[in-house]
Amino acid sequence: MTWLGRHGPRRSKADVPREEAAQFLVPGGPLAGSIGGAPQASGFGPLGRRSRLLSSGRRGVAISTTSTVVFVGAVVAIFLLAPGSAAVRHSFLSPEHMWQAFLGNPSKGYYSVGAAIWLNIRMFLAAEVIILILGLVVAVVRQSVGPVLFPLRIVSTIYVDVFRGVPLLLVVYVLGFGVPALSLGFLSKQSAAVYGVTALVLSYSAYVSEVYRAGLNSVHQSQVAAARSLGLSQWNSLRFVILPQAIRNIVPALLNDFISLQKDTALVGVLGAIEASEAAQIYASTTFNYSSFVVAAALFLILTIPLARFTDHLILRDRNRRLAGSK
Amino acid sequence: MATDNPVYTPWFVNNHPANGKGYEAAVTYAVAAKLGFKSSQVKWVYEPFNNSYAPGPKKFDFDINEVSYTPQRAQEVTFSSSYYADRQALVVLKNGPLVKNHSPAALKTYLYGDQIGTTSLAYIISQISPTQRPKPYNNLNDVKSALDTHQIQAFVTDTPTAQFIAADQVPGSTVVGQFPSTGEHFGMLFQKGDKLVGCVNWALAALTQAGTIQALQRRYLQIYLTIPTIKP
Repeated sequence: MTWLGRHGPRRSKADVPREEAAQFLVPGGPLAGSIGGAPQASGFGPLGRRSRLLSSGRRGVAISTTSTVVFVGAVVAIFLLAPGSAAVRHSFLSPEHMWQAFLGNPSKGYYSVGAAIWLNIRMFLAAEVIILILGLVVAVVRQSVGPVLFPLRIVSTIYVDVFRGVPLLLVVYVLGFGVPALSLGFLSKQSAAVYGVTALVLSYSAYVSEVYRAGLNSVHQSQVAAARSLGLSQWNSLRFVILPQAIRNIVPALLNDFISLQKDTALVGVLGAIEASEAAQIYASTTFNYSSFVVAAALFLILTIPLARFTDHLILRDRNRRLAGSK
Repeated sequence: MATDNPVYTPWFVNNHPANGKGYEAAVTYAVAAKLGFKSSQVKWVYEPFNNSYAPGPKKFDFDINEVSYTPQRAQEVTFSSSYYADRQALVVLKNGPLVKNHSPAALKTYLYGDQIGTTSLAYIISQISPTQRPKPYNNLNDVKSALDTHQIQAFVTDTPTAQFIAADQVPGSTVVGQFPSTGEHFGMLFQKGDKLVGCVNWALAALTQAGTIQALQRRYLQIYLTIPTIKP
């Protein structure tokens, strides 16, 4: 490192006079951020100098408050002043309908939206576990180089192309109505939720395998070379060196796909599984009022927003870890 | 005029409302003629059942699609007076247990499915009260597929539709019987507060008095009405 060369042979920290050391600890200096203190990322981003200048201070607060009020006020005004506003508010935002939909009343023909979200939760938890494993397997197979695995590589490529290209709703229909119709015994007698989870797994594993591949490619070739030169076999270098780094890089993308999966469990409702959006649809068709959909949407938001904020926190923490000490 | 797609006999024929055949098509053209419109002035649009009650201006004058009147629905849309008093019938698989065993106690043990939001589904839940929760489907087509692929054992719908499905659409099914009337009737669906409903009600009353409605029912629906009655 150049600053060591400029100052002659290496000395221990104890030998460096206090003033000399201080110049390396100023903000923006070479050692800034590495000894106590907050990391100083440069330029843009949440810690950049430019955004700090604009967002702090009384002027910044005044500007952001005013713009928020104007924006929200404009949207609310358009909504309230539109000619059809009263009808829409009754149809979509009626409190007693929302409460009735949340509670449900089977004797009148509709089920509880609040209870139905539990089926969504079970579906996406089950699906996510299988997707993470299956996606990784497909990605590793596609990244392999041995000629023995060639047929598997071809099959994986076709699988990813097909299931990224076909809309999830069609996959749900084909599996949910087609497999029972084939009368294959045990396979054809499962509940609608099972076929729905299968469709979600097939479709999302294709996407997630591409995310894994991006992660595997993001690990520098020198890591692979170093692992091999230490005598690790291909499988062991993958397991102990490549995968930990690859997965750490792509955790935000995986969480993003998980949030998307939580919403897509709503599509399983077309098979007759009484999940939240299907329960909302049943209520709407029975009473001719759409407020149940607002209830279902709110429940989905309660599920997905905490995860979204957690993803943001992870991205920030990862950024701090990677950029600590640099300008 | 609006209706769904596909639509079935005996309400419409060949999924083509403009040919005027089928009970609902015939009633529509009769009402239009009473109001002074020529057949060529009647235009049909496609409106799925689940969209027909959305708020706001509609792209049709009224929707005729076997929609049952309920007081709760009448708060959201406006219904015309009745053009058919329907009863619910039970469609089952021919070689299933339901054909022989359909006492009220036995009916509770079977697996039903039905179209969501229909009075048929509400009938199953409230009157038959089966022990297994009935499976909901978005439209009648999916219900038929479910019966065909043995995912459900029976479903309920209005008698003429039930008879048509059993005779034509799902080969392995049959209508076991129809349930006693619950006072249900079909009405045409209008946007809430639409003034046109007054004119249509006048036309329907005039047609009923002239015997036209009864003649149309005899012509299109009579053969579907000679089905035994069973209790829920």
